[in-house]
Amino acid sequence: MSLVNFTSREITCKIVYYGPGRSGKTTNLQYIYGRVPEDRRGRMVSLATQTDRTLFFDFLPLELGSISGFTTRFQLYTVPGQVYYNATRKLVLQGADGVVFVADSQIRQLDENIESLQNLQANLLEQGIDVRTIPLVLQYNKQDLPSDLILQVADLEEQLNFRMVPAFGASAVVGKGLFETLRAISERVLRKLSEAQPA
Amino acid sequence: MNPERMYDALDRITRVRGVRGAMVVSAEDGLVVGEAVMEGVRGNAVAALAASLAARLGRAAGAAEAGAQRFVHLQAEVGAMLLMPGADGLVIVAVTDQHVNVGLVRLEMQRMVEDIA
Amino acid sequence: MKARVVEPWLLAPVERFVRESGARLTMVMTPSGQVLAQYGFTRAVDVMSAAALGAGIAASTGEIVRMLDEPDFRVLNHQSAQHGIFLGRFDSRRGPLLGLVVYGEDTSIGLVQLFFEDFVADLEEAAPAETPRGPVLAADFERDLNESLATLFR
Repeated sequence: MSLVNFTSREITCKIVYYGPGRSGKTTNLQYIYGRVPEDRRGRMVSLATQTDRTLFFDFLPLELGSISGFTTRFQLYTVPGQVYYNATRKLVLQGADGVVFVADSQIRQLDENIESLQNLQANLLEQGIDVRTIPLVLQYNKQDLPSDLILQVADLEEQLNFRMVPAFGASAVVGKGLFETLRAISERVLRKLSEAQPA
Repeated sequence: MNPERMYDALDRITRVRGVRGAMVVSAEDGLVVGEAVMEGVRGNAVAALAASLAARLGRAAGAAEAGAQRFVHLQAEVGAMLLMPGADGLVIVAVTDQHVNVGLVRLEMQRMVEDIA
Repeated sequence: MKARVVEPWLLAPVERFVRESGARLTMVMTPSGQVLAQYGFTRAVDVMSAAALGAGIAASTGEIVRMLDEPDFRVLNHQSAQHGIFLGRFDSRRGPLLGLVVYGEDTSIGLVQLFFEDFVADLEEAAPAETPRGPVLAADFERDLNESLATLFR
């Protein structure tokens, strides 16, 4: 749950980038890290294998700025995508205020996307979180690949977006669609803070 | 250090009338290496604070150009704490009540230092 | 340097712990890596990185402990050449919490452990019951959000 410091008027929210292996979660964070001014971000932490696959998580702290008089900070996390790292994914998902699901638009990755989305739902449920209530945004990454290799956004919407949450076509390597994704999840997470909160 | 010999030596210290506990403490990290203490003596607390005290008093002795620290006797209202630095970065600590024969305890602590060296 | 806390009841226990233990950096956080109190860090974003890593260590150690059918993980200590890192998990009225302490050669793990026990007791005594909170942000926060994001991605 987001942390609110009423004395110093600060808000800290945790956003987790979820999705199958090699869908571009780490690239999302790397791109954001590269674009954001130094005084608005912390060091990017990557717990990765020797081959640069995420082993535990990547972490990027961001200073969003002042929202309604509160200094607002976001903690962006990624999870390892590979199926066998489920225990680790569950740990990173603890206390998430919002989730960005990064899907791989390649046709041959469709099953992995569906499996990962189901896995997200199961892991949230295990923590007592209903996927219908947690702020969620979908990102269809790798839309820059040749069109015969990928599914178009409309097809992916049909296959993955049952809950009609905001969704964006993206190309993480060149940064296309990443800002829109971050904006949408920020808006959804902060929207919850403008409503009454349970204890 | 042979653990059996260490515990024998700790036993000899605690056999002196008025001693409530004896322990070997790692000077650098303040952790208990071995202890023989009566119920009610917080071994880990005494060890941490005694090691810290020994380090500070050692520095004080150095600043006063008094040489290396040999023995510390802290007399409190109803008891005392005795410290003696040993080999290998260890400190021997004894906790006593107010009626103890400090000389006798010190002698056993000295024997222990020689024994475990 | 002053401790920074999310809620006022945390301040006195944190300051007492730092004073007594001689810790250089201290942080209290939730198991999900949200920082409730900290002493010694200069940048808020640095403290968040340390918290994320500390929570990660606690989470993975907790899982190993669970696989071994052992009681909950409580304490970990890492001794480096010049610094020690102490990580302790404890229960509180606010649920499970973690303490991350970095200490130098001027204190010891024995002292940190000793005063950490007192710290946990102090926190338990000081913690008020959690109360439901009302809306935090104004309903029209979007304008601020858009402006903030625009300066972030100039």
